[in-house]
Amino acid sequence: MNAIPDPIKEGLARGWKVLGGEHGSLPQSLECDVAIIGSGAGAGITAELLAKAGLKLIIIEEGPLRSSADFHQRESEAYPALYQESAARKTSDKAMTVLQGRCVGGSTTVNWTSSFRTPVDTLKFWGDRFGLTDLNEAAMAPWFEQVERRLSITPWLTEPNANNLALRNGAIKLGVEAPTMQRNVKGCWNLGSCGMGCPTNAKQSMLVTTLPAALDLGATLLVQTRAEAFEFSGAECKALVCQPVSLNGSPTGAPLRIKAKHYVVAGGAINSPTLLMRSKAPDPHELLGKRTFLHPTLISSALFEQRIDGWDGAPQSIYSDHYLHLAPLDGPMGYKLEVPPLHPVIMASTLVGHGREQAEALKLFPNSQALLALLRDGFNAQSVGGSVGLKRDGSAVLDYPLNDFVMDGARRAFLSMAELQFAAGAKSVTPLHELAPAFKSWPEARDGINALPFKPLLTRVVSAHVMGGCAMAADASRGVVRPDGTHWQISNLSVIDGSLFPTSIGANPQVSIYGQANRLATGLAEQLTGKHVQLA
Amino acid sequence: MKRRSLLKLGLGAAVLLGVVGGGVALLQPGLVDGKMTPGARRVMRAIALAVLDGSLPPSGPDLDAALTLQLDQVDDAITKFPAAVREELSQLFALLSSPPGRWGLAALQTEWDSASLAELNQALQAMRFSKLALRQQTYHALRDLNYAVYFAEPRHWVQIGYPGPKDIG
Repeated sequence: MNAIPDPIKEGLARGWKVLGGEHGSLPQSLECDVAIIGSGAGAGITAELLAKAGLKLIIIEEGPLRSSADFHQRESEAYPALYQESAARKTSDKAMTVLQGRCVGGSTTVNWTSSFRTPVDTLKFWGDRFGLTDLNEAAMAPWFEQVERRLSITPWLTEPNANNLALRNGAIKLGVEAPTMQRNVKGCWNLGSCGMGCPTNAKQSMLVTTLPAALDLGATLLVQTRAEAFEFSGAECKALVCQPVSLNGSPTGAPLRIKAKHYVVAGGAINSPTLLMRSKAPDPHELLGKRTFLHPTLISSALFEQRIDGWDGAPQSIYSDHYLHLAPLDGPMGYKLEVPPLHPVIMASTLVGHGREQAEALKLFPNSQALLALLRDGFNAQSVGGSVGLKRDGSAVLDYPLNDFVMDGARRAFLSMAELQFAAGAKSVTPLHELAPAFKSWPEARDGINALPFKPLLTRVVSAHVMGGCAMAADASRGVVRPDGTHWQISNLSVIDGSLFPTSIGANPQVSIYGQANRLATGLAEQLTGKHVQLA
Repeated sequence: MKRRSLLKLGLGAAVLLGVVGGGVALLQPGLVDGKMTPGARRVMRAIALAVLDGSLPPSGPDLDAALTLQLDQVDDAITKFPAAVREELSQLFALLSSPPGRWGLAALQTEWDSASLAELNQALQAMRFSKLALRQQTYHALRDLNYAVYFAEPRHWVQIGYPGPKDIG
């Protein structure tokens, strides 16, 4: 038996109200004060604050409830259970793979714990272009401070793993800054399995923090329950129709109708706009599901003489923002450099090539190192991001054109990563591109990368950050929701998740979502109850 | 009759996409009850043989057993995908297991189960470097799925020096 206490199993034993899936079938109708759709970063913070204000909540999650006793650090179990589409969600042209959580806690259950406040220049851009002047650095600081206290966000003081050290070593050689990250962990065992669900409950995800707090205060959690559509009457939302689903998303029973005084959409930047589209929500300025940003991500693999063991230890602890600041924010795309954890499934399916040659390359897995570059999208007229739409069955599809502007960023990112890896002592560097060989030196890589055709499907592009699609703005012509998070056309509906962002963040987005959710849900609690509540 | 008419469609991009969009309904689905049909298994067996060449046992009963395990685990992975993804895979297998699909997408003249490793590898490379998105997408879908399934299996980790997760007691 696992000796580590499981706070979710304990909560269930205490009598938490959880329905759906193996936790019991859903009634035909339910009523509450606030229905929260989703259980990730935005939903979790919102749930704790609204529950503290004494509101009766129903939290609706499409994925299953899984917790530390279920987290066996196995990709084969984690990806189908905890991720959208078994961690193989694709953009419509199949040129990008999107990693996104689908379980209680959403992406916070499976993320790599990297914690950054929203960069100041991003907030300033939102003020200048979207009228969000109240979201400046000084105004947001107290909201972030509370989040950091609540989720134990502190600098990572343990020695970085070899995978991250390579980034630091290369950066030192090139005179580039590469600081240590903050992480939302408490008593971290440094296992490296964050992406498969934390087996020791060290990661301070929504699963083990805010959601248990809300459930202890009497909130109801519906799992394996998909929010299908709202029913509107004029400028008001009257009900939400939900569908029980099996683990692979297929319908399993009769629909459920939830009536609430207020509705919070927090399903993430693909599912939130999709829900509003299926509901035929008003969209007079045709902004819904537009400007979806992904931080298109490039990966550069390297071989070192020494072992790297890229699966071992905190997945991300070192980063560099140097390449975000080489040009103006609205100029050619900048990129943030980090390191991905390396596990067999993700590694073998993400590398390029196949057959005998690939089998030989995979034998060197323990000596493999990788860097990733997050392209900061949404700040230039040529970076309009993607758009979310509906498939025939009503499920989400994301179109994200990898145009020449994005691909110019990809080329520069490959160059920077290769230069850093060689500076760190790599024997060879292979940018993940179907036509890229293993380069043996920086000059060879520089010439080789510049000669590559930067086309979708030839260039491996992935994403783990979905943002935008329900942009917040100071007036209805520029956004889907108001600066206080309520929908511009529907009075009792708020959006509180990453879909609010009018651009990408330019950093891992979890703390940006927590911070906005803290601000918005504190306001919503006050509006609905007159009570002032505080996260921490 | 209609199925036969597909044989004459040729290999133009628009035509091939047309096959996927509409004509595919005329073919046998590649998945039945969420599992690969015998035809789809023949396709996937051949693809796995080429994608995992160098990782699979070289020949004989060991190879057969490894391929059977691989196909069973591909089936298991497919059941966990949402309906829209399963439908796409079903169409893809339907196309590939029909002669026009095999020629059009994979440029493979020989039947899947009699093609040599060299022919299969050539087919994979032709899709991988094709200018036609559908052929590139086919390559990536089949390649990625095979690798994901193969290296999810703990007994294959030793081949790549991965020790497995740390014991947390």
